[in-house]
Amino acid sequence: MTMSFSAPLVKIKSLHKSYGPHIQVLKGLDIEMKPGERVVVIGPSGGGKSTLLRVMMGLEKIDSGSISFAGKPYISSEAADKKTVIDTEVRRSIGMVFQHYTLFPHLNVIQNLILAPCKVRGENKASATKRAQALLERFGLGAKASAYPAQLSGGQKQRVAIARALMLDPKLMLFDEVTSALDPELVAEVEQVILQLAAQDMPMMIVTHDMWFAKNIASRVIFCAGGVVVEDGPPEQVLGSPKEERTRDFIERVFHIRH
Amino acid sequence: MAYDFSVVLRFQDALALGLWMTIKLTLICVVLGCSLGFFIGLARTSRSAFLRAVSSIYVEFFRGTPVLVQLFWIFFCLPLILGVELSNLASGVIALTLYMGAITSETFRASLKSIGPEQLDACVALGLPRRVQVTSVILPQAVLRAVPTLLSNCVSLFKESALVSAVGMADLMFVGQNISNNTARPVEVLTVVALIYFVIAFPLTRAVTLVERRVLAKLAI
Ligand SMILES: Nc1ncnc2c1ncn2[C@@H]1O[C@H](COP(=O)(O)OP(=O)(O)OP(=O)(O)O)[C@@H](O)[C@H]1O
Ligand SMILES: [Mg+2]
Repeated sequence: MTMSFSAPLVKIKSLHKSYGPHIQVLKGLDIEMKPGERVVVIGPSGGGKSTLLRVMMGLEKIDSGSISFAGKPYISSEAADKKTVIDTEVRRSIGMVFQHYTLFPHLNVIQNLILAPCKVRGENKASATKRAQALLERFGLGAKASAYPAQLSGGQKQRVAIARALMLDPKLMLFDEVTSALDPELVAEVEQVILQLAAQDMPMMIVTHDMWFAKNIASRVIFCAGGVVVEDGPPEQVLGSPKEERTRDFIERVFHIRH
Repeated sequence: MAYDFSVVLRFQDALALGLWMTIKLTLICVVLGCSLGFFIGLARTSRSAFLRAVSSIYVEFFRGTPVLVQLFWIFFCLPLILGVELSNLASGVIALTLYMGAITSETFRASLKSIGPEQLDACVALGLPRRVQVTSVILPQAVLRAVPTLLSNCVSLFKESALVSAVGMADLMFVGQNISNNTARPVEVLTVVALIYFVIAFPLTRAVTLVERRVLAKLAI
């Protein structure tokens, strides 16, 4: 990527999003993310965290505002007819992993991984399979290449889902509570994989309720509530000594529950 | 009263021919009907209001009228309207295919609808174009999911096909009825006919359960 180091990787400008006429979820969100940053988004349930990530992935329509990636606006709303315009070419630089399991159940692990590279980029099957196998080895899943999703544990499924997204060489990864459907003993293996990506400077935006994980992975934490950014800063500040009262309340409550 | 089942053996060749007709008719209509049902199922979930309307009318009509009436209509009215002679087999195939198409289209529609929205989210997040979403993700899962119900539909068709005897097609039921009338041995002949249907349908019904379990186990996410 050719750009000056301080130019934002993602720039979200006064993003508004509602579901139907009555449920306003995002009420003018502004976020700038620099290359190499790992942003953890925390906030109360229903605060719009998933919605934010889904909008960034191009899965939801927006009311107004815009999002740019690497200087190129790729999601915007046409003022005239309120139509959401999505640049699918730019969107391909972004990968996402969801809270729910989203592997394709009729395909085995390798087939899940190579589907998009082969069909979207026209990569040949042999080379995609080779890359997939290497990625699986790296994530400790080498032996599962020909297993079907139903034969995997939740932790394995999520690791495969991460590998599947990485097959497309994303320049930004979005993680929406990828461990919250997992049994507690399976959480660590998935978080390890994400930490491994972090160690390679993969830019990412992560929604999580796991404060230990947030602390370990974040280069920056955003506290999002009521559809706006309430507090935004380094993890020591937002998680350690938040400036805003609402953040403090939330952090106290979450840590209280966790301990 | 003494039962004499040897009468059945005397007519075994005729019964075998009747059974062959039943099986042939069922197999042809299974293949044609499932194919038709697949496309009608797609049309019913399509974005085009026109396709949805046409396919709905077709399905509701064939589900809402007795198969026997449909058969009679196709045997006796369709040739008049079209002005062409249709062989018995052709009429039977048309009638049961249209019926099977309506039934299986509902099966396909239900299986299409059972694919969760999160599968589509994953498709979008992977940048899959619409065509690939449909051919590589949605349709294979829908077909796989439909298999157990389709098998049930096929077993039903095998049994329902006995109705064609009413319009004079020489299927198992028709042959059995004739033998029973001519020999005045309804108990022996019709019991054996029933047993033949059962011996074929029953293992298939059990197979449906097994297949269903395997499909569900495979598609569990
Ligand atoms: N498809 C939808 N239709 C209608 N309302 C929705 C839809 N998706 C989300 N909402 C509503 O939007 C609000 C924000 O939801 P969102 O899932 O973004 O919150 P969240 O911050 O991710 O919460 P959680 O921590 O529980 O995951 C909630 O009130 C939710 O009920
Ligand atoms: Mg959420």
